[in-house]
Amino acid sequence: MAGIVKEFTKGLWAEIPPFRLVLGLCPTLAVTKTASDGFGMGMAVIFVLALSNLIISAVRKIIPKKVRIACFITIAASLVVTVEMLMQAFTYPLYQSLGIFVPLIVVNCVILGRAEAFAAKNPVHLAVADGLGMGVGFTMSLTFLGAVREIFGAGSLFGHHVMWAGFEPFQFMVEAPGAFVCLGVILGAMNFLTAWQNRRKKAAGQNACLACAACALAPAAEEQQS
Amino acid sequence: MKEIIKMIVVLSLLCGASGLGLSYLKISTAPLIEQQVLTYVQGPALKGVFSDAENDPIADRKKFASDGSEVTVFPAIKGGKLVGVALESFAAGYGGDIGVMVGIDTATGNLAGIGITTLKETPGLGMRTTEPAYTNQFKGLTPDQAKLASSGGKIDAISGATISSAATVNAVAQAVKTYQSLKDKILAAW
Repeated sequence: MAGIVKEFTKGLWAEIPPFRLVLGLCPTLAVTKTASDGFGMGMAVIFVLALSNLIISAVRKIIPKKVRIACFITIAASLVVTVEMLMQAFTYPLYQSLGIFVPLIVVNCVILGRAEAFAAKNPVHLAVADGLGMGVGFTMSLTFLGAVREIFGAGSLFGHHVMWAGFEPFQFMVEAPGAFVCLGVILGAMNFLTAWQNRRKKAAGQNACLACAACALAPAAEEQQS
Repeated sequence: MKEIIKMIVVLSLLCGASGLGLSYLKISTAPLIEQQVLTYVQGPALKGVFSDAENDPIADRKKFASDGSEVTVFPAIKGGKLVGVALESFAAGYGGDIGVMVGIDTATGNLAGIGITTLKETPGLGMRTTEPAYTNQFKGLTPDQAKLASSGGKIDAISGATISSAATVNAVAQAVKTYQSLKDKILAAW
């Protein structure tokens, strides 16, 4: 149980896909014009990621090593086409606004990355937790980025007007360069936050017992193992 | 050798299973998808063409065979009588085909209005063909008048987007031609 929680929560902050692993940037930059587009894209990725991790982890023992990438791609591609058809059948406006980026989930590095790095080596329940965690982290990132761009670029959030009446939207934010600038600022802020936390930890560690220094090393050692 | 056979078997089984699953899903979602496309792609254009229709043109649509292909015709009914029909036609624009929903007044044979369904034209130029300022020009014209002003018609082309404007006019002409060839069948159907 603790394992499941750990695999799930690591995708939410410690290894949040677009901001920490810096994977899956194509949809991150392209479909975050509005918060709801980012959220919809994230939902599609959660579906594909959780199911692909589930299937890959279930069949990992019978897949020969040499053709594993082909097998992973086949599974991911089938799931993406499934999402595409379901989206067309039930949420057509979302499909229209996401456009080509739905089929492009197949080549999203997060999917193949998690399949190769995690699902192919771990039991089913952990793989599903990992997929869900990564997917939720991805959705949060996209929704957040979309919200920032929508607030400044259109003065609204999830389609509702939130800025004051005389607010002049920055057209720049909802266009491609705005996505890059936003992403850069967020990455910078996250790195700054982490550095600040580490500095604080270090300052606290000097006063505390030596055993705490070992605790700080533990995550690093664990990472090397996995 | 054994390894190669295993690889072939596993990969073939996997691909076969996903192919089977996807084709089943495709068949089961096809009617739903068609309905959605009609609602969100053709629907807004139809509303612009027949703003005062008392029926749902999408629900009442019928298909007709014309020159070996199928044409979907959307009727507009008012006071229990057929007042107009709309059909979609395509013509080559600047960035691919432009789809135009052409409404025809069944009493006079004149144009009831047009609406653009699909297009990939240049933003700010060809994309302006979707604006009411342009499409409203077609309202009430006879098919002969629905030509660009440069070729003796009554439509002012959008400046800088002659190809896109010409494409809409061509699509209208084509729809009128299809309508005239199917006229008797269409009038008998509702």
